Amino acid sequence: MTTRRRFLQTGLCTAGAAALAPGLFANEGANKPPTRFIFIHKGNGLFPKAMVPPSLSREEMEKEDRKESFEVSLTEHQLPEWMRPLEDHKQNMTILQGLSGKMCTTGHHTWQSSLGVYKANERLSSIKWATVDFELARLFPSPFEHIELACFPHGGGNARGNINGIEKGFSARGPQRPNYAFGSPKVAIQELFKSVSHDKRDQIKYELERQVLEFAFGGQSNRGRHLRGVEKLKVLNYADSLQAIRERNQKVDAMADVIQQHVPQLEKKFFADDISTTDRQVGHTEILLSALISGMTNVVTFTIDELGTRYTGIPTIENENVNLHDVGHGKGVGSLKAEEVREKLRHHHMTLVDKMVKRLKSVPEQDGSMFDNTVLLYFPDNGETHHSHGTEWPFIVMAGNNVRLDVSGKYIRLPSYGQQGHKTLGNWYTTILNAYGHPIPHYGALDTGLAKYGIDQSGTIEQFLA
Amino acid sequence: MPKQQPGENLSRLPRIHRHFLTALSVVVFASSALGQSTPDHFVIPDSVQTVLDNRCMDCHGSDAAEGDVRLDNLAVLPLPERLELLNRAQDQLFFGLMPPEESEQPTSKEHTALAVWMRSELLKHRASKLDEKLRHPAYGNYVDHARLFSGKISDKPFTPARQWLVSPQIFHERVNDVFRLTGRARQRSFYGVTNPFVLPEHSGVRDYDITTLEGGHLLVMLSNAQWISQKQIFAAVHAGADRRQVEHPNPKDRWYPSESPTAFVTIVRKETSPTDPEMVAAIHAQFDCVLRRDAGDGELERYLPLLRSTIEIGGNAEGLRQILVSVLLESEFLYRQEFGVGTPDEDGRMKLSSFEAAQAISYALGDLGPDPELQKAVAEGRLSTPEDFRREVIRLLADTEYYNGAVDPGLSGKNMQSHVTSHPKLVRFFREFFGYPGAVRVFKDQKRSDGYYQNPSRGTAGTPGFLIKEADRIVDLHLQRDEAVFENLLTTEEYFVYHDKDNETGRRIIAEWTEAYEQLKDTDWKTDPERVIAENLEFIQSRKSLRILGGKQRREFLRHMYFFGETIGKGRTPFTTVSFAHGYTYNHSPFYNLPPTPGIFRYGRIEQKNFKGLDDIEFWDYPVDQPFKIASRKGLLTHPAWLIAHSSNFHTDPIRRGRWIREKLLAGHVPDVPITVDAQVPDDPHRTFRERVEGVTQNDECRKCHQHMNPLGFPFEVFDDFGRYRHNEPLEHPEQLISKSGNRADIFKTRSVSTLGELRGTGDPKLDGKVQDPFGLIDRLARSRRVRQSIIRHAFRFFMGRNELLSDSQTLIDADNAYVDSGGSFRAVVVSFLTSDSFMYRKELP
Repeated sequence: MTTRRRFLQTGLCTAGAAALAPGLFANEGANKPPTRFIFIHKGNGLFPKAMVPPSLSREEMEKEDRKESFEVSLTEHQLPEWMRPLEDHKQNMTILQGLSGKMCTTGHHTWQSSLGVYKANERLSSIKWATVDFELARLFPSPFEHIELACFPHGGGNARGNINGIEKGFSARGPQRPNYAFGSPKVAIQELFKSVSHDKRDQIKYELERQVLEFAFGGQSNRGRHLRGVEKLKVLNYADSLQAIRERNQKVDAMADVIQQHVPQLEKKFFADDISTTDRQVGHTEILLSALISGMTNVVTFTIDELGTRYTGIPTIENENVNLHDVGHGKGVGSLKAEEVREKLRHHHMTLVDKMVKRLKSVPEQDGSMFDNTVLLYFPDNGETHHSHGTEWPFIVMAGNNVRLDVSGKYIRLPSYGQQGHKTLGNWYTTILNAYGHPIPHYGALDTGLAKYGIDQSGTIEQFLA
Repeated sequence: MPKQQPGENLSRLPRIHRHFLTALSVVVFASSALGQSTPDHFVIPDSVQTVLDNRCMDCHGSDAAEGDVRLDNLAVLPLPERLELLNRAQDQLFFGLMPPEESEQPTSKEHTALAVWMRSELLKHRASKLDEKLRHPAYGNYVDHARLFSGKISDKPFTPARQWLVSPQIFHERVNDVFRLTGRARQRSFYGVTNPFVLPEHSGVRDYDITTLEGGHLLVMLSNAQWISQKQIFAAVHAGADRRQVEHPNPKDRWYPSESPTAFVTIVRKETSPTDPEMVAAIHAQFDCVLRRDAGDGELERYLPLLRSTIEIGGNAEGLRQILVSVLLESEFLYRQEFGVGTPDEDGRMKLSSFEAAQAISYALGDLGPDPELQKAVAEGRLSTPEDFRREVIRLLADTEYYNGAVDPGLSGKNMQSHVTSHPKLVRFFREFFGYPGAVRVFKDQKRSDGYYQNPSRGTAGTPGFLIKEADRIVDLHLQRDEAVFENLLTTEEYFVYHDKDNETGRRIIAEWTEAYEQLKDTDWKTDPERVIAENLEFIQSRKSLRILGGKQRREFLRHMYFFGETIGKGRTPFTTVSFAHGYTYNHSPFYNLPPTPGIFRYGRIEQKNFKGLDDIEFWDYPVDQPFKIASRKGLLTHPAWLIAHSSNFHTDPIRRGRWIREKLLAGHVPDVPITVDAQVPDDPHRTFRERVEGVTQNDECRKCHQHMNPLGFPFEVFDDFGRYRHNEPLEHPEQLISKSGNRADIFKTRSVSTLGELRGTGDPKLDGKVQDPFGLIDRLARSRRVRQSIIRHAFRFFMGRNELLSDSQTLIDADNAYVDSGGSFRAVVVSFLTSDSFMYRKELP
């Protein structure tokens, strides 16, 4: 029995309830399309100053420099140069500044922190609860529940080993339960679209998997029949879990025609083992879109890069193998200064976001498009800079017309760290979860350092729920 | 602690539970026949109707339905509603919540009649929720303590036939077993295996037999099974090959087992389809790897057609791999099976099979499956009688190698390794019982600790990690001594702090350092270090503890000399690891109220031109010989790890500390906070935390529960939330701020802390009463028979994986006697448990 006080003292996430009852809180009408969520996070920090529209008035710019709260319409302002690919989507876009995340692991590598709002590290025991993307995935059930794609880091403290495989990702299903992410377009297509694959080997693999699941289900069901009471339930529950996966596969099989229509059409280079980083990102973007449009999932999380990701294929410096850590320490690449490299990468990311938004806008859904029911979040995995402290956590939010958050066409700076009204990453995710029917009092750990300012850290950011 | 006399009644718990437990034992365990009958023929016996009319209907009849509960229309309610209502009523009755305290209470006869009837009605439909609840750790203490130890219970002990989910540690070792790894070949982790299991985080015994495999486990196991089976096939394909020449699909995942079952090798190397005998051999081999037994006939009948089919579809290697996956997905791999075999005795009990018994014994003592000796005993039919069990348990307890390992590998990081001992699992009982490992989950504001506290972070468990390890060492020390273990853990004044080397090594290092300092202190080491090094090179090189060689020897030499100067030079013994060693993170002595040791950066500037010397700090005079006595500490309840684990982010937690003592040491229970209560301690700039807690818990409604906790927790207010001993509490409120500080704690006005408390519930009038401070309280607790028996009860739960039943009475009394008769040997308790009927017998429940 968790009282509010204990909740606040321990900073525990009480979102587990949703995990136990997928869809319990979903209040969408039967005919209403689900909301889709795309989480895109990047490494090496995201400078708050890089987020500021250059056309702000002097007065607004002074407020920005003092990090005072204010809000302006984006339609009246220019976007920063690197965000220009989003120029056509300004009405569907918000730049959100001023959130803090000191309750997260900050600095170089942050693991599940930016999605889970707690201090995570390489140990699974540090995963305290399901990350926010999984909470949302449970509110909008789908055959795959959630799909994670990643440009895995090659080295550093967060190395994943096989960057082309299926490895522990940056999302978590629950306490100490990491999610697994697809590291390359090749492996993602093989796994996600195997039921409609024309490749003989994939078909065999799928058939073998089907047989094993059927066999295991039969074996455990039979075993359960010979037991009694709670011991019977212990085995039948396991058998039910096997059956649930079989049923998921059956649903996917039943969607074969739709999935077939949306199998990503990628050139040969996207299947190469030595695929460049930027091509890997493009390939993942296609898979992300196919998975959403076909209805395989409603939530995709995409690690577009991480500090340990070695970059190749960056426009104009295609042949360079860029070390993001060096860039973080101000080291340039060729004739480009570190900040220019950063700008190029962000610009490339925005071209991918533009592609996602345009594609989703092109898919009709009820009276509008699929994008009307989509929320896209682009943000750093570690806060405001390379060696971050979590005092700021900038976001770009793209959202369609039917979403339940008041975020269209704005530049919003919230009160800065320690100021009255200051809000955290936890408040932001609580706002999103509450808006979509999950009545959680607060998502995420609390910041022990904020207590001295007398700031109530729990709950939503009311202005977004208006 | 005095020994329990049979028949002695020490109960101070509500008698209501005793009546109800009679009902439990009468209805649940003595009569399984009731559970067989299901027709819904609902009749309230006259005797029960009379009790309902006299005791319940005033508030829950047709005229008044308090809490929207009516008991007058039970007969007309549809079955689901009736069962729901009966379950609610049963809970109220069992937990003593109804009738309310102020109402006239039913007699014991009336109470029993009502309880027995409710239970029989619920069991008719197998719908009693109380039984499920009582299997959970939080409800262990609801079994009446006095009756358990009264000697009057004649029911034969048993454990319900069960499947017990393997612990995270056992799972890991089972994966090692799948690959048939032994000795140093056993792996600490596997690249492609994620442990699907996690124990709950509460303080107290955590590994119970109540957990069920569910979808999350399966998802993780599906990927684990893929990786494990790929490695098994890879090993078979490359059996006998030069490992250096083998190409790996993932260059960063190059490990594979050095041996592979012959049956696998045969199939993967065959160019035609395998014969049936070859396939049968492979199935048996995988059963042996995964489940440690051959496949049964029925299992072969199922597996063989599958293997034929998968080989036909996928070829020999891929087809075989599917079978390997299938066996890995067997629930038996993840559950410990304990059903018993043979003809039930007159009490319906069956003995564990020798195979089950070997597993049960080995997993009780460690994380590994049965050792070769135990397997031999099984094969030779020598694991059946209590004497057989005793022989093997005593042998394994005396074996210092087989289970040897880290107490908690999760604590190990880049700067510290977990404590290693011969029987980590025995230490684990006490760490779960005391709950001090919970310290890693409490995040603190570093500044409030004057900058010394390091929260757990990437690659390190931080300050709490060090403190937990040091508490582990105390536990292990007393387990090795094995005398008056409970009393010593509660009252010891000797602690380990830092102590990263054994005493002998430490003494040798200090002797060398002292010799070096004495020889070199009067040289020109500050102004001409190169010359001093050159002149004394042979001497320096001959002292292994001086690491002043290599390209940076000038800097290292200077650092050593400064370090020695402000420790040895001032008559103090330095810590035996130099503070400028790579990755040095020993900062936590202040949490024991000991002086600090130099930090890693202290000697960082000594070569700089503007270096003006070091500020004068009184560093800790390090005790090389440990354990050593620390003032104002007594036992684990005053260890910083325990105090931090039972604190909040900003405050002490007297309520939780008191509750811990009530539940863990006094076998009592306190209801959870009612859902309607917003239990917050109000801010007040003028009062201490204790005063604020007292203020908010003094009204009647709160006091009812808090009287069982607060007086036991308040004495520990002499320690702050970092575990530091204190007399005064800073009033950390802006109004009381005296001065702000950069990296150190801000200075506030203070108030003296009150450490008065009261002990009630030992059942011994000589011990119950007011206490002046935690030390007096601890002394009395350590002398209490009830405390000893409470620890025995918790140990029972740890080794049996369940709450005790009344029928376990004899097992508990025997274990208690074993402890007393042996002069406080915990190993005697373990032997007693593992040779008891509770351990050896299983009984199937409806």
